[in-house]
Amino acid sequence: MAGTLLEIAMMHSDALITRAREGDKNAQGKLVQLWYKRIYNFAYKFFFDHDLAMEAAQKTFISMYRNIESLQEVSRFRSWLYTIAVNYCREEIRKKKAGRSVSLHDLNPGEREESYLWEASSGRRENPERQFRQAELSDLLQQCMMELSDEQREVVIMKEYEGLKFREIAEALQISENTVKSRMYYGLDGLKKILERKNITKETIGYE
Amino acid sequence: MNKPDESTLISYLYGELDAKEMQKVSDYLVRNPELMQQLEQWSTVRNTLTHVEDKEVIAPPIFTDGPNHLSRFWQSGYFKTVMSIAATFLLLLVAARLIGPEINYSKGELRISFNGETPTTKEVVEVPSVLTPTEVQGMIDVSLSNNNDLLSAAWNSNNEKIQASLKNNLASNSAKIDELMKVASQASQDQVRTFVAGLQEDNLRLMKDYLQLSAKDQKVYVESLLVDFSKYLQEQRKQDLMLFQTRMSSIEKNSDQFKQETELILASIISNPESTLKKVNNY
Repeated sequence: MAGTLLEIAMMHSDALITRAREGDKNAQGKLVQLWYKRIYNFAYKFFFDHDLAMEAAQKTFISMYRNIESLQEVSRFRSWLYTIAVNYCREEIRKKKAGRSVSLHDLNPGEREESYLWEASSGRRENPERQFRQAELSDLLQQCMMELSDEQREVVIMKEYEGLKFREIAEALQISENTVKSRMYYGLDGLKKILERKNITKETIGYE
Repeated sequence: MNKPDESTLISYLYGELDAKEMQKVSDYLVRNPELMQQLEQWSTVRNTLTHVEDKEVIAPPIFTDGPNHLSRFWQSGYFKTVMSIAATFLLLLVAARLIGPEINYSKGELRISFNGETPTTKEVVEVPSVLTPTEVQGMIDVSLSNNNDLLSAAWNSNNEKIQASLKNNLASNSAKIDELMKVASQASQDQVRTFVAGLQEDNLRLMKDYLQLSAKDQKVYVESLLVDFSKYLQEQRKQDLMLFQTRMSSIEKNSDQFKQETELILASIISNPESTLKKVNNY
């Protein structure tokens, strides 16, 4: 799991968290540097939108600065941080739904997005692997995840990309572990059907 | 072992079961290839999801005002405001002290001076502090009476001047009129005579002319009148004559007609005497 130096540092940041909790501004700054990419990517996968992800990530770390002294156990820092992030993500989703705001992608789909739609609906379905460059595949899979419900999506992202244990996810979302696993079950099942519908298979991806 | 539930299957998939439970599920899956296939499909989905890349992002500087409970009272806005006002006053006081002002207040007089120079006091004329209303009224009355006196004096002098000028004018005018009257009385007798003589001559001439004119006119008028009357008489005579003639002619006509009728009656009587008698009897 700990593939990079950054991830190794994240896994061994207990001392840093302790100092940050005691009000060490330097330590708090380092925590931001360590965790910003993870929280941003969590939010990005949740929204599939850079601006909303930046907004949620910044709010998360501002909240972390203000409330880290209330953190009870250093070992629960990760689930605590994701709790804050999930709450801000949900808040942004509520605002977006309440304001009926429309993404620029929806109003004027860019070439890339158009190409997905085209691929999904045209004769290229028979041979999609030619189109699947890595970045495009990434965005296409993101779109597939956006078809899941918010609750299933946040669990899938936390498990698959953030590497949280089910216990940590349950803590972060303040629900039971069984509920987390149930959401994961239906999330994976849903994704399987979505990928089949979009003809994204092991073979088509294996072309790359 | 019974069919593992959703929770167990998911835990198995992610390797979060203990070894014993893992073995049990593995055994079950060997006996149930359908479930094994489902798990393999999920694994495929998970492998596919690994193709989603993380976005590179640089953490922006995040500035916060720190936890609120750490803020001290000297960090509050009110304190800063009060302190800034106090500092301003202090600065003013220091500046004032350096300039060296002297501020005195005595007898209702505030004096501010700089550079230590004592202000030159001017002698202030003592003014009676208070005037009573009666004094003010008296002053007003006095000034009013003075004013009235001045006005009456001016009026009297003007009046005298006007009267004197009137007398002078009257005297000069009466003298002139007397002279005129004397001249008029002296010159009047001759003038009246000549005037009356002129008038008589004029009257006589006018009467003559009038009489002459009137005599001529009357003569013409009477002549014309006589002519007109004679014409009238002649006309009247003609008309009478014509009337008379017409009357006479009508009488002649009547007599002729009567004569004819009588002849007819006589003729009828003669021709039919019996019927005529009957008629006469009936009448």
